[in-house]
Amino acid sequence: MVYTRKDVSTLTRAERRRFVGALLELKRSGEYDDYVRMHIEYYTPDGESGLRAAHMAPSFLPWHRKFLLDFERALRRVDASVTVPYWDWTRNRTRTAVPWTEDLLGGDGRRSDRQVTSGPFAFRNGRWTITAGVTDTEYLMRDLGRSHDPLTLPTSRDVESAVADPLYDTAPWNSTSPRGFRNKLEGWGPGHPPASWRNHNRVHRWVGGHMVSGASVNDPVFWLHHAFVDLQWSRWRRRHPHARYLPAEPPAPGDAQHGRIVARREKLPPWDVTPQQMEDHGAIYRYA
Amino acid sequence: MTVPVNSASKPTRRRRVLWGLLATGTMATMAPAPPSPGRSAPKEARFAETYRGRRITGASHGAGPSGDPCRAMWHVTVDGHPLPLMRRADGSWMTMVDHYQSYPTPLLAARAAVDELGPTARPAAPDGNDGRMVHGGGRSERSRTPKDHVHGVHA
Repeated sequence: MVYTRKDVSTLTRAERRRFVGALLELKRSGEYDDYVRMHIEYYTPDGESGLRAAHMAPSFLPWHRKFLLDFERALRRVDASVTVPYWDWTRNRTRTAVPWTEDLLGGDGRRSDRQVTSGPFAFRNGRWTITAGVTDTEYLMRDLGRSHDPLTLPTSRDVESAVADPLYDTAPWNSTSPRGFRNKLEGWGPGHPPASWRNHNRVHRWVGGHMVSGASVNDPVFWLHHAFVDLQWSRWRRRHPHARYLPAEPPAPGDAQHGRIVARREKLPPWDVTPQQMEDHGAIYRYA
Repeated sequence: MTVPVNSASKPTRRRRVLWGLLATGTMATMAPAPPSPGRSAPKEARFAETYRGRRITGASHGAGPSGDPCRAMWHVTVDGHPLPLMRRADGSWMTMVDHYQSYPTPLLAARAAVDELGPTARPAAPDGNDGRMVHGGGRSERSRTPKDHVHGVHA
């Protein structure tokens, strides 16, 4: 049965409550933190050696699609009615819009220490202590809009500039790839910040706090953000029906990217799936 | 989409060794990367300063006789706690604390990490093992794998 991922701004009160409840249950059981650790482990930058699957690579999109699917599966074991909603940050652009409400993800961090003090994930409620972090901070942190040097969220035009590119990705298949949908959406732009922060990366920085660290999964907005990023891949495929995931074949021996990226029919660690198998999600879920 | 049974991740031996070295604070950068256009040698061979009330230090080890930055390995600390650095393909540096941006030098990456840490937070590893990056090196032993990676039954 194909299920639907909805725009978070359209969730009913009951749907919000059940989504938050499932998140809190996975946190209580300890399973949530396993996803935090996995994201940290797989964030290998492209200046390091070895295979990189999750970031700065063509498989950024299929890796996160599978990561979300696994997490969503866990949520649905808790409550079969729940799916991961998406946050359309081209429309819900302010610090008080959804999903930053009391009944969803809570609001901004406080100015003094960026601690989130409202909503279900506030530290004082005792149900969202950070245990798998890259600092020793125990409370969830946000700095929506980067208060000390304000930053705007990407616009629909920014997203369109990525979706319009018919090329999925291109050499050198990393954060310096000058063209291609993948890097334009992942958002490693040329030049200097903040102009170089594009789409996906820029949203991580706009949320701030935990979302700029390798432990960004600690903020549940991670899932809503990546659902919207995933939706852009679906839109790109509809827009360019003959375009495919690239590279189709692994880089040859001697190529600087040989053994360092995942080609279309290669296994995508840590799973036993290939990018090709992740291209069409139509049998599992759809976006409303 | 076909979604077959999964297999759990097994960090490579190389990664285990790297993270193990990081854990002991003997090496601050990861493995060298192939040279890329525009890469320039780090300006600092050593730095120590107080930045926003935090003591940051850095020292490079292993730079080749030609000063090849690809051989440079950095050990960086904040108030004595190891702050592992990683490299981007363009030769810039990043840390786990500030992981969606990179900086031209290790010193700038360390300052940016302090900006994120604020006045008191310390760089640490998951589960509070201060300075011990257990992920990668210890995940298979220390932390559970998400259930789906074990059982792999999907929609």
